[in-house]
Amino acid sequence: MRHRVAVIFWLAVGAVPAAAGGDVVLQGEYIFRAAGCAVCHTDEKHHGAPLAGGRALKTPFGTFYTPNITPDPETGIGKWTEADLARALREGKDDEGENLYPSFPYTSYTHLTDADVHAIWTYLSGRPPVHQKNKPHDLPWYLRFRPLIGIWKALFFQPGVFQPHPDQSSAWNRGAYLATAVSHCGECHTPRNALGGLERELNCAGNRDGIDGAVAPNITPDKPTGIGHWSQSDLAEYLETGMTPDGDYAGDLMADVIDDSTSHLTKDDRLAIAKYIFSLPAVENEIKHEMHPHKKKKEKKENYD
Amino acid sequence: MQVKTRSVLAIGTVLAILTPVLLHAAEPEDIIKYRKNMMKAIGAHMAAAGAIIQGKVDYKSQLSEHTNAVQALTWDIPGLFPKDSDFGDTQAKDEVWSNRAEFEKRAQTVKVRAEAFAKAVKTGNPQIIATDFKQLGEGCKSCHDDFRKKEDN
Repeated sequence: MRHRVAVIFWLAVGAVPAAAGGDVVLQGEYIFRAAGCAVCHTDEKHHGAPLAGGRALKTPFGTFYTPNITPDPETGIGKWTEADLARALREGKDDEGENLYPSFPYTSYTHLTDADVHAIWTYLSGRPPVHQKNKPHDLPWYLRFRPLIGIWKALFFQPGVFQPHPDQSSAWNRGAYLATAVSHCGECHTPRNALGGLERELNCAGNRDGIDGAVAPNITPDKPTGIGHWSQSDLAEYLETGMTPDGDYAGDLMADVIDDSTSHLTKDDRLAIAKYIFSLPAVENEIKHEMHPHKKKKEKKENYD
Repeated sequence: MQVKTRSVLAIGTVLAILTPVLLHAAEPEDIIKYRKNMMKAIGAHMAAAGAIIQGKVDYKSQLSEHTNAVQALTWDIPGLFPKDSDFGDTQAKDEVWSNRAEFEKRAQTVKVRAEAFAKAVKTGNPQIIATDFKQLGEGCKSCHDDFRKKEDN
């Protein structure tokens, strides 16, 4: 019986509206968008070709340049098989079995369902190929040694497909799946320890050292320091239009996420994500605005001289 | 006649001395505070307008107050970002000044859309109002996307 319940939830989680028509490409496009792949794999700032990579991700561990994921055989992933892509998403390894840096959030994508991985492959392999060489990452010398990633994985990487929670509603499970496996909210909104592993007890409680020096706010339902003063529909609305309940508009990386990813989801999926986010433990964690060193008056003045 | 010329000269001299002082009277910190308050005011009116448009509250008769306010407050956004107001307690990215043409273009888009939104409310057509509201919001977001650093909630 328990098994059957699990199977039913399983189906609920994997069901995508586009799949109703049986069109795998549409399902792939939907999940691909929900997963925000294009946000990082397109260098929008420099008008780069879609999915041809080259976008710089500045992190406290160095600058990563996202790779070309178009089906170009020479510079993209044109020689990859579906199994190669599945291995990258599930195990964080490239087509030659080499470890990938966790700046590629396989820590989340490992939870994708088989059907969604297949759909992503079907969609992605049909994208127009773009010939654009990958830029090498700009990392400190001690991080250039890829076998180190193996140790990192042993410490912080928990592979495995998303397991639905039978005690929760199908909407909650859908939201949990989208938030943790697909949209990977926690990858930016959870602080990392000195080794770059997510601090699980501070799940989604905000990250001061976000990508490109941005601060990812606390999105747990804590009232004073998180988004506890929002309603679930406020959050769903924010993921659609970018407007907070105070009438402020999302900026920086989150504006890209909304434009390229969450605004394309169905309303039900946005509400499901909101339902899940509001079920997270409220963590009191003030993410204070701190002046960036380069913004300090003194240094700036010196620049003017 | 001579007296008049002299007094004109005197006033002119006083003005010539005072003008630079007057122009530079504003401290960058105060400008930053002022523009943050302006942005908050715009946000408050946008949130209020959104609540009415979505039917969360029934203050339809007051919608135009909010749209007129947004139109007035977005009239000269680049003017809120003068030179030298780029350091201190600000979330403005350096690009506001280094990529000024693009910044002004986006601000102009917001201005035009705020006007359109105010006009739409006068038509009373809920569909046009909703569309123009959404477009204006996209204008706000497009500027925040590239010209504001996310540093707090």
